[in-house]
Amino acid sequence: MTNHWIDIRNSDYILAMGSNPVKNHPISFKWIMKAIEKGATLISVDPRYTRTSRKAQVYAPLRSGSDIAFLGGMIHYLLENKLYFETYVREYTNASFLIHPDFMLPGDNQGVFSGLKGTETTEGFIDGKYDKATWAYQRDDKGNILKDKTLQDPHCVFQLLKKHFSRYNLEIVSSITGTPPDKLLAVYATYAKSGAPDKSGTVLYAMGWTQHTVGTQNIRAMSIIQLLLGNMGVAGGGVNALRGESNVQGSTDHGLLFHILPGYLKTPKAGQETFAAYNTANTPQSADPLSANWWRNYPKYSASLLREFYGQEVALEEAYRYLPKIDAGVDYSWLTIFDLLYQEKFKGFFAWGQNPACSGANCNKGRQALTKLDWLVNVNLFDNETASFWRGPGMDPKQIKTEVFMLPCAASYEKEGSLSNSGRWMQWRYKAVDPPGKALPDADIVNALFQRIRALYKAKKGVFAEPILKLRWEYGPKDAAGKVTHIDPHRVAKEINGYFLEDKVINGKLYNRGTLVPGFTSLADDGSTSCGNWLYCNSYTQEGNMSARKNKDDPSGIGLYPGWAWSWPMNRRILYNRASVDLDGKPWQPEKPVIEWHLNVWKGDVADGGWPPLASGEKSRYPFITQTEGHGHIFGPGLADGPFPEHYEPLESPMEKNLLSAQFISPVLKRFDRSTTSDVNLRASHDPRYPLVCTTYRVTEHWQTGVMTRWQPWLAELEPGMFVEISSELAAEKGIKTGEIVIVKSARGQLEAVAMVTVRWAPFTIAGKTIHQVGIPYHYGWVTTAERKYAANDKKPQVFTFGDSANIVTPNIGDANTMIPESKVFMVDVVKKA
Amino acid sequence: MEHMTLCIDISKCTACRACQVACKNWNQLKAEQTQNRGTHENPPDLSANTWNRIVFMETRLADGKIDWAFFNDRCRHCEDPRCMEGAESLPEAIVRDDSGAVIFTEKTRELDFDDVASSCPYGIPRKDDVSGRIVKCTLCVDRITHGLKPACVQACSTGSLNFGPRKEMLRFVEARVKALGAEANVYPDPMEDYNTLWILPLNSKHYPLAQAMPIPRRHRMAKTRMPMAVGVAALAAAGLMHFRERGLHDPHRKQGETNR
Ligand code: SF4
Ligand code: SF4
Repeated sequence: MTNHWIDIRNSDYILAMGSNPVKNHPISFKWIMKAIEKGATLISVDPRYTRTSRKAQVYAPLRSGSDIAFLGGMIHYLLENKLYFETYVREYTNASFLIHPDFMLPGDNQGVFSGLKGTETTEGFIDGKYDKATWAYQRDDKGNILKDKTLQDPHCVFQLLKKHFSRYNLEIVSSITGTPPDKLLAVYATYAKSGAPDKSGTVLYAMGWTQHTVGTQNIRAMSIIQLLLGNMGVAGGGVNALRGESNVQGSTDHGLLFHILPGYLKTPKAGQETFAAYNTANTPQSADPLSANWWRNYPKYSASLLREFYGQEVALEEAYRYLPKIDAGVDYSWLTIFDLLYQEKFKGFFAWGQNPACSGANCNKGRQALTKLDWLVNVNLFDNETASFWRGPGMDPKQIKTEVFMLPCAASYEKEGSLSNSGRWMQWRYKAVDPPGKALPDADIVNALFQRIRALYKAKKGVFAEPILKLRWEYGPKDAAGKVTHIDPHRVAKEINGYFLEDKVINGKLYNRGTLVPGFTSLADDGSTSCGNWLYCNSYTQEGNMSARKNKDDPSGIGLYPGWAWSWPMNRRILYNRASVDLDGKPWQPEKPVIEWHLNVWKGDVADGGWPPLASGEKSRYPFITQTEGHGHIFGPGLADGPFPEHYEPLESPMEKNLLSAQFISPVLKRFDRSTTSDVNLRASHDPRYPLVCTTYRVTEHWQTGVMTRWQPWLAELEPGMFVEISSELAAEKGIKTGEIVIVKSARGQLEAVAMVTVRWAPFTIAGKTIHQVGIPYHYGWVTTAERKYAANDKKPQVFTFGDSANIVTPNIGDANTMIPESKVFMVDVVKKA
Repeated sequence: MEHMTLCIDISKCTACRACQVACKNWNQLKAEQTQNRGTHENPPDLSANTWNRIVFMETRLADGKIDWAFFNDRCRHCEDPRCMEGAESLPEAIVRDDSGAVIFTEKTRELDFDDVASSCPYGIPRKDDVSGRIVKCTLCVDRITHGLKPACVQACSTGSLNFGPRKEMLRFVEARVKALGAEANVYPDPMEDYNTLWILPLNSKHYPLAQAMPIPRRHRMAKTRMPMAVGVAALAAAGLMHFRERGLHDPHRKQGETNR
């Protein structure tokens, strides 16, 4: 979230799209309701009429996978009717920047942007890759970007945007999305009102936007709208991802994903031989003195991270050499890892706090892949489909060589530590009870593992032992032999915040060696500071543990609660808040100011840098400080699949062709269905055997694959099993009655589900044809069912659940930028069980 | 102690069912082995282990709009509880607490379940086969007499469940009904006679369970000192009628165009 949960109450127009907050983020609704009570309008856009739709004043249905068409239509509407916030667009976004004269839009270039190299097929280009040379800004010889502040130049971003989205007229958008034109207009007209300078609009999205081959571009489309309407940086605005896991924000911040290190620093690549080369590759340059270009500080953050990892005894260059490097151009994402495993490319696997046998797309393939392992370690609270894969449906235990180890771990209530919520708040949690039996906090399992690995390296040497032998490990009390006995979460938190490694005077104040740094502006690139994650610098200082604060004062009046927990970065509650004021530093929304320039200082939230407002000239800085040029990206040249969003069909679509262009699906996807493992990565698009669009979603009562909730009898009782929601029209056509058991099948597999016939899901009319959509929940698995065999020492659930994972039918194809699987749209059939 | 009232604002409920779980947690009620029956609604009925539950109703209206309502079914905590008619043989088995709660005590073991069940116009009492007691929502008497809110109210994040001194709640209900517009109304009627109240945003015909109302009292008959056996028979007959009445209004049996 750029903003935070409480801030939703400040919004005037709330768009819930790609999410169903009332059901999946129940507490968020408390804040949505407070906004509605103050006069806000809630808009719900969803294929089916959800609990959020029920609470919304405006509802529009759309076919899954057509969000870019829907939002593109909104961009077209805003531009056509001049409903954007002009000053904001001109001053704070890159709308005025001139783009390379050779740049071509998909409308003029066979449905793709200029620079695509790929193979041409009947579906358009495939296996493509963009050469982005023509996506560049025009610059003068000093490197300054050429701009046209009148927004008239045909090569300026604004005019290109206008031209690109002029193709997204109401008629074509309606025939792609299946949304009736009057409903499109109702959504567009309502949300456009948030473009008034004193009004704000927020978007609440979740996996309904990310789990698509065009997921990143779904969010880009909305970001463009938010910039056009001046909704970034303001109270009640922002682009807000509702996170599905309580701590998924924290885990991403701390480097969970393969391509990032903590604080979104980049994983080094092979070829970046020296620390200097690595820093140069990742430190952007800006010629514009008014651009803060925050990432210019990259070398300070990377050096401090290396110090945290390896300490002062290891030179920075040497420490950098110890870091693992990934091969350039190779992705190590989930889908790829499982594809490699399926091909027996590795032997061992830690399934840590996860359940890939249910959570991975196309999980029949994933389950087969697990059989190729020599060993599997399952760290979890309960047995799950992954740990027991060898005795799951269709498996013959005698044929499976994999040795499985179960390491029971402590639940969140059984250990102390912090979590970071969607609103970027780090909140300290205390331990309520001891973990049962031999279960340990995850960190203690890591510690035990590390001690043994290090001892083995010490005893037996081994290749490239230094990265292990020299790793700093100061996370807890030590025994006589100097071994850390258990992890102290406070020490970890302090290491994350960072220390001064030398005495230092900053702004006339002396900071002693060994004290905690007060904030990331104190970090240095010369090795004199350490910091485990620069974004979290300031969270645990000499003043104490900021995340444990419980002060309920709100001097702002807009619910910032600066003394409650701690928010990254620097306790800033609303990101890009310098965009919430005009050029003189006066809030666009005087009723709900985030910051205000008053007597030469910023009042309110922690401002995005202390520089004076833009009108004060060269001492100022543009508001979007993390963008190299300081401006919000209407034109986004950094992405793999285009600087503007363009509608492409999902991998599996009910359509014969893309109504907007000759390019059927995104041209730059990694196509497992065309790889050496194509036999287990099947695709069936526009195939009469699978005529129904299917999507997946969640219920309030279950969590992820249900490993924690299916064992909880009170929750299992409420949602006891797999169902498929189908419209009363489709049910009538197929003679299916509500409550009957039916089969949902895709090209990849099939599963049993209870038919839930509903009037809340009307069929779509797409390009004149009736198209039905159905939906299934994500959470089930065979381990907690009544039908399976239970061995004598197996725990039996008090309440059995019914059915297996939805991922048996989902396809494995990832978003072009993130490799997040397209679980939100694929093709199936639903038939009565024989 | 002033009577306390629990008020359910249907318009705010999202069917998250935190209230169902909170009730089971506080009262340590067992989970039931349920099945998905083609609806999110579960368990399928109130039971010895389920004292409140959300009843789902969805209908496509003539204008194509969807009406999706969540009705929280539970004891009405009547000021003049008709279930007590079923306990006339042992008056201390069902008591009206000072807090306004209607309490089924341990002595309900000794009552005839059918007498009690059939006396309640709302179909609330259930027999707990394990303890032998007759059970239902207690209005969390063990919490509210110690200054706590009922567990279900505590768990409700939307403001659908509200709790407070009777007079305050009556004022709250009036204000809320006014705010919700012309069609909004309170159930049951008259609201002064109950300590559980429902604010209905739409006409009560949208909520089948909000049509259950007591039929005129018959237990006066019993007070005319007819021989015990005759009295019991009369009560049973009357009770049967109550029960049938409820059956007719029961949304599970009479769905019509509505499916859940
Ligand atoms: S907790 Fe509140 S909102 Fe949730 S189901 Fe119960 S009454 Fe409704
Ligand atoms: S008042 Fe107490 S007993 Fe009654 S439904 Fe609520 S939690 Fe259950």
